[in-house]
Amino acid sequence: MLNFKFIIRILGFLLVVEGLAMLIASLVATIYGGPDMGGLFLSTLITSATGLLILAITRKARKEIGKREGFVIVTLVWVLFSFFGSLPFILSNTIPNLTNAFFETMSGFTTTGASILTDIESMPHGILFWRSMTQWLGGMGIIVLSLAILPIFGIGGMQLFAAEVPGPVADKLSPRINSTAKSLWAIYLFFTLLETVLLWIGGMTFFDAINHSFTTMATGGYSTKQASVAYWTSPFIQYVITFFMILAGTNFTISYLLFTGRFRKAIENEELRYYLFFIAGFTIIITAGLLVSTQFGVEQAFRDSIFQVASIITTTGYATVDYLHWTPFLTMVLFAGFFFGGSAGSTGGGLKIMRIVLLLKNSYYELRRIIHPNAIIPVRFNDKPVTEQIINNVLAFFMFYFVIFFVSTILLMLVVPDLPSAMGAVATSLGNIGPGLGIFGPAENFSALHPAGKWFLSFLMLIGRLELFTVLVLFSPAFWKK
Amino acid sequence: MKIVIVGAGEVGTHLARMLSKVNHDIVLIDEDPEKLQRISSQVDLMPLTGFANSFRDLQDAGVSKADLFIAVTPFEDRNFFACIIAKDLGAKRTVARVNNGEFLSEKNRERILRFGIDEVIYPENLAAKEIVNSIKQVGTREMIEFSGGKLILMGIKIRKNAPIVNKSLEDISHINKDILAVAINRGPNVIIPHGKDIIQSEDIVFFITTKTNQNLILEISGKEIFEVKNIMIIGGSRIAQKAAEKLGDQYNIKIIEADRERCIKVAGKLGNALIINGDGRNLELLKEESLEKMDAFVAVTGNSETNILSCHLAKSYGVRRTVAEIENTDFLTMAEGMGIGSIINKKLLAASYIYKYTVGTSVSHVKCLTASDAEVFEFKIKTESKITQKPISEIDFPEDIIIGGIVRGNTGFVANGDTQIKVGDLVIVLTKTSSINKLEKFFK
Repeated sequence: MLNFKFIIRILGFLLVVEGLAMLIASLVATIYGGPDMGGLFLSTLITSATGLLILAITRKARKEIGKREGFVIVTLVWVLFSFFGSLPFILSNTIPNLTNAFFETMSGFTTTGASILTDIESMPHGILFWRSMTQWLGGMGIIVLSLAILPIFGIGGMQLFAAEVPGPVADKLSPRINSTAKSLWAIYLFFTLLETVLLWIGGMTFFDAINHSFTTMATGGYSTKQASVAYWTSPFIQYVITFFMILAGTNFTISYLLFTGRFRKAIENEELRYYLFFIAGFTIIITAGLLVSTQFGVEQAFRDSIFQVASIITTTGYATVDYLHWTPFLTMVLFAGFFFGGSAGSTGGGLKIMRIVLLLKNSYYELRRIIHPNAIIPVRFNDKPVTEQIINNVLAFFMFYFVIFFVSTILLMLVVPDLPSAMGAVATSLGNIGPGLGIFGPAENFSALHPAGKWFLSFLMLIGRLELFTVLVLFSPAFWKK
Repeated sequence: MKIVIVGAGEVGTHLARMLSKVNHDIVLIDEDPEKLQRISSQVDLMPLTGFANSFRDLQDAGVSKADLFIAVTPFEDRNFFACIIAKDLGAKRTVARVNNGEFLSEKNRERILRFGIDEVIYPENLAAKEIVNSIKQVGTREMIEFSGGKLILMGIKIRKNAPIVNKSLEDISHINKDILAVAINRGPNVIIPHGKDIIQSEDIVFFITTKTNQNLILEISGKEIFEVKNIMIIGGSRIAQKAAEKLGDQYNIKIIEADRERCIKVAGKLGNALIINGDGRNLELLKEESLEKMDAFVAVTGNSETNILSCHLAKSYGVRRTVAEIENTDFLTMAEGMGIGSIINKKLLAASYIYKYTVGTSVSHVKCLTASDAEVFEFKIKTESKITQKPISEIDFPEDIIIGGIVRGNTGFVANGDTQIKVGDLVIVLTKTSSINKLEKFFK
């Protein structure tokens, strides 16, 4: 039997944390004196009070959690955070409709960045800040955040951590889970501040700079402008954002190694090399394509392509140009990037570079295995053999990913008129990217989508962010058997 | 404290589990990633797949900054070499597990100290000591002496016929003020009892007392005192040999071992024991060797199941004192409830022995009670601290910690609420494993 009492108690704790985050947004609203102040403070009050109430009732819960509780907690936290997180939008009357508000919040926490807003500039500052903050909190992960600041999980912490951190294996930076979480957040915070300063120097207002840093480091993609990053034509700003997008899509373990002076080990990381290789490859193809098909200069073509490539591969979802206006070939090349995703242990979504590399290697070795049936040919990664268990896990992940992708595309066709739009919307939600294809391209938004479609995509974002298994396992009969 | 453990066998994992509960930074190294995966999903530590004798792997584990390096693979040469490397890389203190009693002698200790091995542990020796203790002290499950016997901790199984069943601790303190129950094993749980708690039958109660009251405790627990003369040991393992060696000539010892070669070897080594070649599970053989006339029966074959079953058998033939070695930790709680007398687990013994190196200099003795989540500490009070300021009853102790007794100068006495601890005292404290970290602040 699941220890529901303790599950609820942890959720209560986390709601208080969310309440505190809302309080920060409320203070921002107060500074700007916007009309959203009341709504934000009210949401803060409701969220924290609910959390505290839960804490008060569940004081006597047994402090034991196993694997199962871990999956339930992580999944529920994200759903709950999205429900309470949509309160500011609803109560401040900026997104009065629950479906829209939930979609926007889920899209925020899962760092998807697909929006239903049609006029972002008209939003008050507090709400915009909260919107970016949902991505920032969701980027490094709600559980990881709470592990860093609350000593509540004890032994079960590793299970929760593994259930939330992207990638086939969850790396620890230091022996203790709390200090691992602390280091991760410290690096995250440092990069965010660094980017804020750089963007500010580059000509953004401080408010825009911090919002964009939040959503870049989270590989989220919410912008404070309807035109997204295209609003700023400064190459400096675009390059800074490109750099930080790529940084946010690398494994934070590598950043940690850099900070602790272990450069060699960081550079030798195989996933990092493939990740940079893929970005470079896509950029070269698209730059060449743009030079052939348009009148752009080399710098412009390079900047446009590396920005879009980084934005899509890291699953951020910013846009400086509408890639739907490129030749169909280039659009399709970029669409292939929808399935790559960032590195394991980064804030990016998608399949993750590590999984793709493992799959490709395994498939390639399979050819050799056919020729040498008796040979033992293990898949090696970072110079270490990868266990068959991990390969199986990755294969299952890949299979699930594409089954979900195709089935969801078919289902979404019920409410979406054309195939590219449906495919794009599903791929972008499952990979936590943001913009899609067709009527959901980078210049468009999701406001016109049927409500059923919005709930469905919200669900896809959730399972995409938690890497399928954490959520899917809850739907397996084996999970509920005694 | 940063601790690196090499070897994720039972000693290593048990240590890691104990130490992570008290917030140490632990890196556990083993060659087998599967072993590591199992433990790292349960315990908060950093697993590292690598070799004990690899410079690179040890460096990766951060040995150079480690306060304590523990090598507990099954191979003593490997452990030695790992310690030598670790010391060279900068580990502050190294502990190696050995399989040979030679290293325990003072002279040889000095020699290996020069290589950079600070401490050695020999689990078989610890187990043998434990066996001898439990044979000498009939009626108790576990017995620990403090300061050469000035205070004694005794763990006793309470049967239905014991006079103290259904009595509260307060009642017991009326019988004699120098008897204090400090922990109770009840089923799978351990309780740190307080005045109003009642002792039930089938409990294993741990008492603190002075030497003079030892027999009184056995009496109130309904235990008969008898003298052990005839001992049968099943299995000619190193533990058996060590135990027979320590027991000496005043007992009649029979050792039953299935392997003929080994029998010959053991017989050559031990002059004080009769070595019999045969299977310890063969009832006919045991009867032939007059099992029912034995006062004590010790089962130390390499197989835990055999040990449990043969002790059970011996009990049913009326052997009053049985000791079983159980290496499979999953069986411990179950075996505890089976009524087969004392249980020895050399890995737990080794783990608690190493454990004391992690708890500061004021601790002179630590022991984990078998099959329970409780620990006994012996603190030397060196300076004024929170604990010396007020009588015990006025100090706000957590529920899971209890002060058992105090040795002051040459006398030991059992603590009560009015006791005031002074500098220079030796204090015996019992705590649940989960509360160890709360302990420290009272003694600092």
